Amino acid sequence: MSSKFLSRFALGAYLIIFFSYLLGPLLVMSLTAFNSSGFPSVSPWACFTFEWFTVLFNDDRILISIINSLKIGVGTVILSVSMGLAASLVLTQVWPRLRTTYYTLIIAPILIPGVVLGISTVVFWDKVGRMFGPSAELFFHNGLLLTILGQSTFIASYCMLVFVARLQRFDTGLTEAALDLGATHTQAFRKILLPFMRPAIASAAVLAFLASFENYNTTTFTFGNYPTLTIELAQKVRYGINPSISSLAFIIIAVTVFGALAVEAIRRNSVRKEAIREGKAAAKPGNILPGFLRGNPAAFVFVILSIIAITMVGTAQSHDPKECKAQVLLEKKAEIAIRIEALRQQRLIKDQSEARQGPDIFSTPDADAGDAAKTPSGSGAFGGVFAPTNLDSEDGE
Amino acid sequence: MKNNMIFAQFFKNNGLMMGSLLIGLVGFWVIVLVILPQLSMLDYSFRYNLPPAELGGPKDVYTLHNYKHLLYGAEGSSGTYNTVDLMVFVRTIIAAMLVTIANILMCYPLAYYLGQSKGSGFVRLLVVLLIIPYWINEILRAFALRIIFGDSGLINEVLMLTHLTTEPIDFIRQDIALYAGLGYAYILLMLFPMYNVIESLDRNQIEAARDMGASWARIHRRIVIPHAKPGIASGATMVFMLSAGALAAPQVLGGPSSLWFTQLVYQWFNDSLNWQQGAAYAMVLLLSTILIVLTLMRVFKVNMGDIGK
Repeated sequence: MSSKFLSRFALGAYLIIFFSYLLGPLLVMSLTAFNSSGFPSVSPWACFTFEWFTVLFNDDRILISIINSLKIGVGTVILSVSMGLAASLVLTQVWPRLRTTYYTLIIAPILIPGVVLGISTVVFWDKVGRMFGPSAELFFHNGLLLTILGQSTFIASYCMLVFVARLQRFDTGLTEAALDLGATHTQAFRKILLPFMRPAIASAAVLAFLASFENYNTTTFTFGNYPTLTIELAQKVRYGINPSISSLAFIIIAVTVFGALAVEAIRRNSVRKEAIREGKAAAKPGNILPGFLRGNPAAFVFVILSIIAITMVGTAQSHDPKECKAQVLLEKKAEIAIRIEALRQQRLIKDQSEARQGPDIFSTPDADAGDAAKTPSGSGAFGGVFAPTNLDSEDGE
Repeated sequence: MKNNMIFAQFFKNNGLMMGSLLIGLVGFWVIVLVILPQLSMLDYSFRYNLPPAELGGPKDVYTLHNYKHLLYGAEGSSGTYNTVDLMVFVRTIIAAMLVTIANILMCYPLAYYLGQSKGSGFVRLLVVLLIIPYWINEILRAFALRIIFGDSGLINEVLMLTHLTTEPIDFIRQDIALYAGLGYAYILLMLFPMYNVIESLDRNQIEAARDMGASWARIHRRIVIPHAKPGIASGATMVFMLSAGALAAPQVLGGPSSLWFTQLVYQWFNDSLNWQQGAAYAMVLLLSTILIVLTLMRVFKVNMGDIGK
């Protein structure tokens, strides 16, 4: 009895630790987007503000990089989905003895470090460009093209895995029947295989787009004059942090959460409809909730979060943290004043004691060293007080 | 001859148009995107870094110079070995292995729990919660950890508030942030393959073993882990390769004095503009990681076909 309780407790604790490791950092980062302090942090909490979103939306480089990311994403999706589909179809037909070799070859790009993929792409197309002369060279140095090629190299493998999983349930008898009835191979592909593969193609496309959007290791070598969002973020994170990055992260997290909830809600809804169609669960009369919300917590949370999001955007227009900021500035000034006062007191006491003792000509060098060590540490604390405010005033301008 | 027959059969099965489309796409991918770039990188790594005018000239010959640089340092340097770069390399490989082991230990209980408790709403919720961080940018995840581990970050603030420490601990300089970030970055690539295989394990086997009096540890050692081996191997391979080849986490979370091997590659390539040297370093990284994975797969008797399931 008690051992069962103990194991449940251990499981609960483990789940909490695991999920706080996984989600905690994202939560903290989201919160920092709303703190007016110039460095992303949650404590000390200064003021609740939306200003970092304004900073973000006025950042042209971010907007341009998002457009680049979208272009590259679309190109990568088209290329890697078609290559992945072709590779998976070939895998079902390949000569059994070649199968393992072939599978190793098409799965390998996932395992090759992204850095290596990026470098090899750049080096190879540079060579191809030089072979074809100066005009081709320009073409093959295009960052968009290189990034699409480099990313597709490994994203096609992800797509291939999705297709292989789906193809395992495909009844090849259907295609054979169509061929027997006089369909051409192209028709059989279009009318039979493609409709069957449609859900897999959709999920592979989403997977490919997301993988392309968040890729860093390969893109950092290939992007040329077309920095993607991830590249731009990396530059910002490495050379000067401010919470507008957190606000972008918050937006991305929010979109992801909404996406995940929407997918889950749609899934549940179709499961429920299926159940009703089969007569297992009758639509209960007298329920005030609209149909798609019944027995569907995901849809429920989705609606509630949407309402919160709309309210937030609404209040963002009117919310003005000016007063609070002035308050924080005052508090900071007061704090500094107190510290200065304390420091002055210390110095006064020291001066007095020195005056009382008179110049200590017999002082050992040790005592002097002690004094010398004390002074810089005092000034260190002093400097520490000023550092954050200096940062603030710089950011304010 | 035999090859011809295979191709004929292939085109008979798919029709001429679909057949050539399939072959064309796969050929483009495997040959133009995968094999040729790797070969040209290998070629590059054996050449001198010359100005464009001298390419193809008498100086443009094959050399081991770039690989020697990794072993012995720049020509004319005082030390016998290039200890700085070699240390970075060894550290990268060992740390990537430790990260992989830590991920296995962290994920196994959760994968077992999720895989064996069938389809309740709570488990479904946990899976959705797991997917969310998976789609957040690698850079942003590293950034999130940097906010937490920074000098005035959350952890230091909490430690100081509770008086566990008076001075902020420099997590970044001590590489704690880096290891936490690497473990964080690819943990889900470990979890999902494990979860998939454990989910396919028949519960009755565990019940039967329990009925016959097997202890908890024995059930795991004799039934669950052997069954989950392909998933564990798949996850471990991916996590090891990706952490050894990680660039985002070391750049954002790495201390000023410690480097990751990919950062050396990056520096040669983008900062020093010495592509040949960068290609040689990348080649060393690629070959040594592949060698390690293949060796471990042989030791643990895992097939290549298990990877990616």
